[in-house]
Amino acid sequence: MNEWILETNGLSKQLGGRAVVNQLNLQVKQGDIYGFLGPNGAGKTTTIRMLLGLAKPSVGSIRIFGKDLRKERLSILRKVGSLVEYPSYYGHLNAIDNLETVRRLLDVPRSRISEVLEIVRLTKDAKRAVKGYSLGMKQRLGIATALLGQPDLLILDEPTNGLDPAGIQEIRELIKSMPREHGVTILISSHLLAEIEQMATRVGIITKGQMIFQDSIEALRRQAKPTIRISVSRPEEAWRMLLAKGLPVDWDQTRLTVGEVSDRTVASIVAALVQQDHDVYRVEEERVSLEDIFLEITGGEGSL
Amino acid sequence: MLALIRSEWLKIRRSVIWLLLLVSPGLAGLIGLFGVREEQPGGPFPWLIALALMTALHAMLFLPLLTGVYAALVCRYEHAGGGWKQLLSLPVTRTRVYIVKFLFVMGLVALTQLLFLAVLLLIGTAKGGGGAIPWSELLGSVGRGWLACLPLAALQLAVSTAWSSFAAPLAVNVVFTIPNMLVANSADYAPYYPWVQPLLAMMPHQNGYDFGAFTLPSLTLLSVVMGSFVVFFLGGWAYFARKAV
Repeated sequence: MNEWILETNGLSKQLGGRAVVNQLNLQVKQGDIYGFLGPNGAGKTTTIRMLLGLAKPSVGSIRIFGKDLRKERLSILRKVGSLVEYPSYYGHLNAIDNLETVRRLLDVPRSRISEVLEIVRLTKDAKRAVKGYSLGMKQRLGIATALLGQPDLLILDEPTNGLDPAGIQEIRELIKSMPREHGVTILISSHLLAEIEQMATRVGIITKGQMIFQDSIEALRRQAKPTIRISVSRPEEAWRMLLAKGLPVDWDQTRLTVGEVSDRTVASIVAALVQQDHDVYRVEEERVSLEDIFLEITGGEGSL
Repeated sequence: MLALIRSEWLKIRRSVIWLLLLVSPGLAGLIGLFGVREEQPGGPFPWLIALALMTALHAMLFLPLLTGVYAALVCRYEHAGGGWKQLLSLPVTRTRVYIVKFLFVMGLVALTQLLFLAVLLLIGTAKGGGGAIPWSELLGSVGRGWLACLPLAALQLAVSTAWSSFAAPLAVNVVFTIPNMLVANSADYAPYYPWVQPLLAMMPHQNGYDFGAFTLPSLTLLSVVMGSFVVFFLGGWAYFARKAV
């Protein structure tokens, strides 16, 4: 037994001779909210389809709950709730009947229907045909469907697509509360880092089908440490002088910067500059946002 | 399997399918009502002539068309709202999903056939033929017509699962159904033409329809029907089982 509730090994998918997903090793721990990030077309949805058995991997294996997806698909899927890309629904049926078609296949008590409708706040509209729903309501119905079977693992592909800010906020709170209240593990994909950042405990970043970062959200944040930028009248000279004094300064031909250092060090740098008659124009902190890191990691082609 | 049938039933229960069921028996009924004359006034009702007359419209045109419509309809609500990916990411096997869809198509064809029979019986009894109903001919015709729809249903279901458009499989079906009246005249080609098989199967023998493919022994037809059904069904199933959703 290992600790991963979901694990892929060298997962690859070739489509038309092109590797859409390439050697992906996804690892999701029990109780994680795993943010699966990547620009549009990076292979997120293809990966998720393979996780649900909707598409077959060209190479590689998938283990969920420690079981091989190829061999025990049905018992795994019984405990996985999913929402892929856009919500699925039968437009001519109302929300209750929509959920009932799924409930009959999952064999959970009928009372679950009103429970999940309550969770996504659709009780009021439950008797209306779904084709008259707004996109946000359909999305909420999709989440209700995913929750219906009391899953241990929720796989949500871009669940906030098409929602207004209030709806996004609501779904976010709901997702954050799930692991706490029901012990559910969540894999949630998005092309928006800002959205994932507020709920994920772990992130995996994928671009061009390859995983380029996979760690805790704190590890990602650590990469976003602030730097101090100093602009002075004669920067190169100042740089040499400061280095000679053993102070940690960087010079890249245009900017004089100091990495993350204590206030004390910054103070001695400024003091040294003033003593040597340099004009100090600015001392400012520069923060690299996670957004910038994301762009940098994904090679700047992230559509954000 | 039972859970799938119950789930499928819920989707189909509230759809437009029920109106369609009435179309063909209704139209055939009109023909039977106004087209059949007793040979002499007050004579016995000519059951087989009525059957042949009504079959000419029902089995030549509407039955093959409706089979295609039913196949398209049981796939339509899956294609329309992204139902396939939801359905197939639930704990169900694709084989069972495909079989259940097929059962529903053939179930609807069976209902159509029963309605057709009911309309024929109603007209005949109303016209005074109640005493001498040729049960074996009538039931045989309706039953054979249902069997002859098996390969067509399998073919149309395969096409309907493959194409997400609702109209495309129907267009194909119409294009191949229209030539029925020509194909039926050829003893060489008709038995192998899935769209005309219901007509050949339902038409009563020795009623003036003794030309073209109508003189074929029913055993020949049955073996072609069953053979092509197996091929079409396995082909459609094999495709569906591998399809990336």
